[in-house]
Amino acid sequence: MLKSCTGGRTRFELAATTLDEGLARLVAEHPTLGVHLYDESGALRRHVLIYYNDENIAWLDRLDLPVQPGDRLTVLQAVSGG
Amino acid sequence: MTTVRLLVGTTKGLFVYSSDEQRRVWRCEGPQLAEWEIYSALGDPKGEGVLAGASHAAYGPSVRKSDDGGATWTQIADGPRYPTETGFKFNRVWQLIPGHSSEPDTVFAGVEEAGLFVSRDRGATWSELDGLTSHPTRPGWFPGAGGMCLHTILIDPQDPRRMWVGISAAGVFRSEDGGETWTPRNVGLARVPTGQPYPDVGYCVHKMVLDPQDSNTLYMQEHGGVLRSTDGADSWEPIEDGLPSGRFSHNPDYSGPFGFPMAMSHNGDLFIAPLESSEQRTMAEGKLLIHRMERGADAWAPIGDASPEDPRYVGVLRDALAVDGLEQYGAYFGTTSGELYCSLDRGVTWDRLPGQLSRILAVKPWVVGANGAA
Repeated sequence: MLKSCTGGRTRFELAATTLDEGLARLVAEHPTLGVHLYDESGALRRHVLIYYNDENIAWLDRLDLPVQPGDRLTVLQAVSGG
Repeated sequence: MTTVRLLVGTTKGLFVYSSDEQRRVWRCEGPQLAEWEIYSALGDPKGEGVLAGASHAAYGPSVRKSDDGGATWTQIADGPRYPTETGFKFNRVWQLIPGHSSEPDTVFAGVEEAGLFVSRDRGATWSELDGLTSHPTRPGWFPGAGGMCLHTILIDPQDPRRMWVGISAAGVFRSEDGGETWTPRNVGLARVPTGQPYPDVGYCVHKMVLDPQDSNTLYMQEHGGVLRSTDGADSWEPIEDGLPSGRFSHNPDYSGPFGFPMAMSHNGDLFIAPLESSEQRTMAEGKLLIHRMERGADAWAPIGDASPEDPRYVGVLRDALAVDGLEQYGAYFGTTSGELYCSLDRGVTWDRLPGQLSRILAVKPWVVGANGAA
């Protein structure tokens, strides 16, 4: 339901050297997507998950990790409730 | 040619009903924005433009715009948003209304957490009128059960700078300067026992309307009753004869009829949909019974039962009852179980429109091609 923020695409490439640069580019290139991922304080919305490859970025100690070609960022809606 | 549309916001998208001026046969299109809950919508009476307040429990709110009657949509990039340093959260768009007739490019948005935004370019860009979020009583504002929402915006047809807003559960505020500054106007209302130290706020207004022919007369469905003001909201007094009691078991200060929506036609017919009680928020006695009071009267009448054969233990939400602006006006309401009804005889008989929708959050008539209609 967020693909209207990304020109209808659900998969696309980003150029970045670090994870935090990749996250910044994701919302800089798709500003309306940023509204739905982050709240006014800049925090990730409570029921939004972003995975860096197989890692939930919420559990990473730091985001200035170097990234490699082929690494993936995946946006998911957290499953909660019934 | 006149086209009459209903913008029907639900928890699962926006539906657009269309008919001609007769309003006998309706076509339903949708859902548009299907994954989003639509608390507010506004159609441009001069064309095909539509604005919608779309939100989602996980992904938050946004304002969306269509230039083709709702067929396709874009998200407003520069939409309402509180600055980070304010600490306020923008959770939903509860109300989208056009500015004064002298300001055709202006649109106002009432949002949760309670605040007022304005667009001067038909919804393309937005800025906050921060007299409410910076109000000296703001630390004493508490949310109602639906969230701390600014759900009603009224503009004086005679004076674009004179406005009123309704906020749950802060109360009524009036502005004399186009929304820059605001004064609480809650004398006569039953105060919610929050314990906060600001006596001017803490009033649970559910919906409020302005008499289109008398800018000093307003009506309100409040948590504890139905009230009228004849002095521009300086004071309020109950006007409840003919209405069922709300049976408030938890607080003897609340004994008036309970409900949410309220709508008024151009000729002064006022409509409400009384619920059983605050605790049981379904239609009183299971009847889908709309009450009407005519301008100048002092009592309500149970004017039309939309489903006389079957009990209907459903509700009608605060923005799900409306009238259109045609001379022989149509009245409409949608239920929490997704049925939509239309009356063309001032609320006496009601026809169900096609479709079984999700929970109906908003019903907004949109008339294109008629002089002065809305």
